[in-house]
Amino acid sequence: MNDSFFNLKNSMKKTVFKDLTFSEERKRAVKESIQQKQLYYWSEGTLISLFETIQYEAKNGFDISTHLFQKSDFTFQNNEGQLYTLLHLLENKGILTSKWIEEKKYYSLTAKGKKRLTAYKRGSSIQREYLKHLLEEASL
Amino acid sequence: MNELGQVAVPEDGIENKEQMIDQLMNEYGDGILHLVYTYVKNETTAEDLTQEIFIKCYERLSQFNGKASIKTWAYRIACNHCKDYLRSWHYRKITLNEKIFGFTPSKSKEVEEEIITKDEETNLTSAVLALPIKYREPIFLHYYEELSLTEISKVTNININTIKTRLKRAKELLKEKLKEEV
Repeated sequence: MNDSFFNLKNSMKKTVFKDLTFSEERKRAVKESIQQKQLYYWSEGTLISLFETIQYEAKNGFDISTHLFQKSDFTFQNNEGQLYTLLHLLENKGILTSKWIEEKKYYSLTAKGKKRLTAYKRGSSIQREYLKHLLEEASL
Repeated sequence: MNELGQVAVPEDGIENKEQMIDQLMNEYGDGILHLVYTYVKNETTAEDLTQEIFIKCYERLSQFNGKASIKTWAYRIACNHCKDYLRSWHYRKITLNEKIFGFTPSKSKEVEEEIITKDEETNLTSAVLALPIKYREPIFLHYYEELSLTEISKVTNININTIKTRLKRAKELLKEKLKEEV
């Protein structure tokens, strides 16, 4: 009987597991879900400060973080990498756009992003909900 | 790391967690997928659940205290997730439909029929997969994954003596089943 079990591993590998592998596509799907959840990591206030910072003028990452410090938002103080993660996420969502100027990447709000910001500041409950939704997509 | 080549990512940075999950998927992706398959016996469902399992691992990464090995920890999440699925209303609805209407929306029947040939190997595999879950589980973890009884106990959160008993009973059942088919 033990001999049979010794074969279980090979047996399963040759049959049910033969073509069953966790594909790259599936791994990518996991990473995407994770990135969605990461949005939840930041606060509403930080997001709004960020939008305000780039609403009139494109800025690069370093300038953005400096501006945030000036507004007393220290979320990214020892966490610069996370700022770029957030910028990347927002770009994927179509809220901001970037372009390269002299080897540095400059970020600005898209029309969509500006609309969201204006509506949010007007106190629109829908926009507050949207922002919350953006941040809470994680809890799905 | 960033565009200005400035300071790198801190210990608990998000990118670090993402990297860890990446590594986890590369090392244990297939292992966990196979484990999940033994519970649900359907390739697509197994892939879906495995995805969910790695997302759970990400969410709980901060709770991992390094006491157990990360493999045991991940496998435990996998095991629990599968059992939750099997207890779920959704799954019960599917199996009920199958019993009443003989309707299989999934691939499981096709896969199982492919397995049923006169080959000795496939007989063993299908015999094991046909066992009730509580016997299938320790058999797979012990003879395929080669986990010790203690490790099995950690992964399944089942008392080690219970595991011993189930393994013994599982072997008896398999012996009977395989004798029948010869």
